[in-house]
Amino acid sequence: MRANENENEPAAAREVVITRVFDAPARLLFEAYSKPEHVKRWFGPKGWPITLCEIDFRVGGRFRFGMTGPDGNPETPFGGEYLEIVPNRKIVYDNAFELPGAEKMIVTVTYTEKDGGTILTIHTLFASVAMKNEHVGGGYVQGTNEILDQLAELLPSLRAGASAEGAS
Amino acid sequence: MVPATSELDRVFAALADPTRRAILARLATGEATVNELVAPFELSQPTISKHLKVLERAGLVSRGRDAQFRPVRLNAAPLEGAARWIGDYRRCWEESLDQLAVYVKELQQQQKEKTHESKRKRK
Repeated sequence: MRANENENEPAAAREVVITRVFDAPARLLFEAYSKPEHVKRWFGPKGWPITLCEIDFRVGGRFRFGMTGPDGNPETPFGGEYLEIVPNRKIVYDNAFELPGAEKMIVTVTYTEKDGGTILTIHTLFASVAMKNEHVGGGYVQGTNEILDQLAELLPSLRAGASAEGAS
Repeated sequence: MVPATSELDRVFAALADPTRRAILARLATGEATVNELVAPFELSQPTISKHLKVLERAGLVSRGRDAQFRPVRLNAAPLEGAARWIGDYRRCWEESLDQLAVYVKELQQQQKEKTHESKRKRK
């Protein structure tokens, strides 16, 4: 039933892991993730504020986020369901763009207190390798189609964005 | 067909078609008239024109004003948005976590002030 069990593609090929150590208690970091007034203050890349933010923070509850881009236009919202919540320790949710046929990713956020700080780990399992590539630039790296190769020449910034994935 | 709700959606919808990508790849080497674009593809001019309209709506190409030829040019700007968005999952998170670090400091400060306040009140 889980959309993210693709027999042909091992989980290791579909995941991205991001880790950061904070000089703050897990309780605060967990809180920052669980309420819209907090999430709006930090979530999302720079220059893409969260302008739509609905959170029903309980297992089976849903969230909806939407960013506004630098051009001032609201982007396609995304959202999902909270699958597991362990206070101050762990949040698991699925997430997809609100587009027909959009694939889901499953995100597991864990908070581990250590030496007075907290290790925050964001583990993302994409539904497929193709979906992961779409999100982390594997499509560019492999140069699977010529327009993106052409773009790489046109836009030096592309190369920076498509940093080699899989170092994790 | 996905409803185009933003420039980014229109750009991705435009890039989703191999013929349109090939047209962009051709235009990346320099401007071309519609006839010049029809030549390498085994497609009718109306079909190519339809593809050009999609690319135009996405802001990816512009048409010259010369009434006779109206050469088609590539506009790279919308692609930058797409490029920033694509392949940036990790960077998005890293930027978010930078902002979270700042925000959590703020929360800690607020909490300190609150405990300070309540201690003073109890005195």
